[in-house]
Amino acid sequence: MLNVKWLRRLHLTNRPVMARNETSKYTELLPSGKARQFTFVMQAKSLITNPSFGYKLEETGVYQISGLSWSGRGKIVKVEVSADGGKTWAEADLQKPVLSKCFTRFRIPWQWNGNKAILKSRATDETGYVQPERDELIAERGKHGVFHYNAIVSWQISRQGDISHVYK
Amino acid sequence: MFISSLLVVILGALCSSSYATEVGPKLGKLASQKKIKQWDTDIFPNGRGLPKGKGNVTEGKKVYQKYCLSCHGVDGSGDSADELAGAMHSLTDNPPDKTIGTYWPYATTLFDFTRRSMPLNSPGILSNNQLYAVTAYMLYLNGIVSEDKVLNVNNLAKIKMPNRNGFINIYKKQKNTNSLVSQ
Repeated sequence: MLNVKWLRRLHLTNRPVMARNETSKYTELLPSGKARQFTFVMQAKSLITNPSFGYKLEETGVYQISGLSWSGRGKIVKVEVSADGGKTWAEADLQKPVLSKCFTRFRIPWQWNGNKAILKSRATDETGYVQPERDELIAERGKHGVFHYNAIVSWQISRQGDISHVYK
Repeated sequence: MFISSLLVVILGALCSSSYATEVGPKLGKLASQKKIKQWDTDIFPNGRGLPKGKGNVTEGKKVYQKYCLSCHGVDGSGDSADELAGAMHSLTDNPPDKTIGTYWPYATTLFDFTRRSMPLNSPGILSNNQLYAVTAYMLYLNGIVSEDKVLNVNNLAKIKMPNRNGFINIYKKQKNTNSLVSQ
């Protein structure tokens, strides 16, 4: 295991210390020049872990798409998966138990016929919040937020079955 | 063999403790009051926690050149470590320059962070006077204080940083919103 971080002490305070990691870092600069601060809650987020970058589809046939979803606001209620870059979506099965603020495994079968494909997953949490496309997130937040990113992740499958990360 | 029997004993102790009196694993030792005081280094934006001492820009430049320059570059222009001063771009430019002068909302943060974490290879070696001095130098490089400024426990927290109002408290706004991407 690399980069183990040790928690040395906890200091409870009744107001922000405005330490470097509450101000200079872990704040997200918006296109307006203002920055979002204290963004402790991660909004609904998901990604497909299998297949994903590093895997290769060796032959056509049925694959099980599987991944993880989570939300800082509560339970995941739905994960949809697209194999055509977001044109059409199908609802995946959620592995029980589905617990608040916990990783929720999703899976769905998929037939790969050897064509180019783009796989995406899109999570919805119990507040009704739907994980946004990257373009939507960037339109509102810009590209300099750095510390807080929950957009849809896209994996491109080539005709040879190679998998790469793409932005749409 | 001895180790495996020991494990059984430990596991047995852990299982039984759930309904008997709670027994911790007894790791480590109780922190002394002295240790706690030594670790209690937080400096709040109103100056609470600042130690006694003082330092000026000229002394700060010497501290900077000895301990900071090799990573943060000439005049805080950035190198292997963060750019600290001399912003060429504003926060709305692409790319933006997030320096102390353009981005940091409080001057106290500079003292707090430098004291707890810098220099990277041996944090804690700078005296309070050196910390006030290098803080003064950083603020001078960012055009926030004049060259003759002497910083101390009484005036550091009073410095108004240019980006003091540049932050939106999302934690307060976060409740009960269902916008697609907002919050």
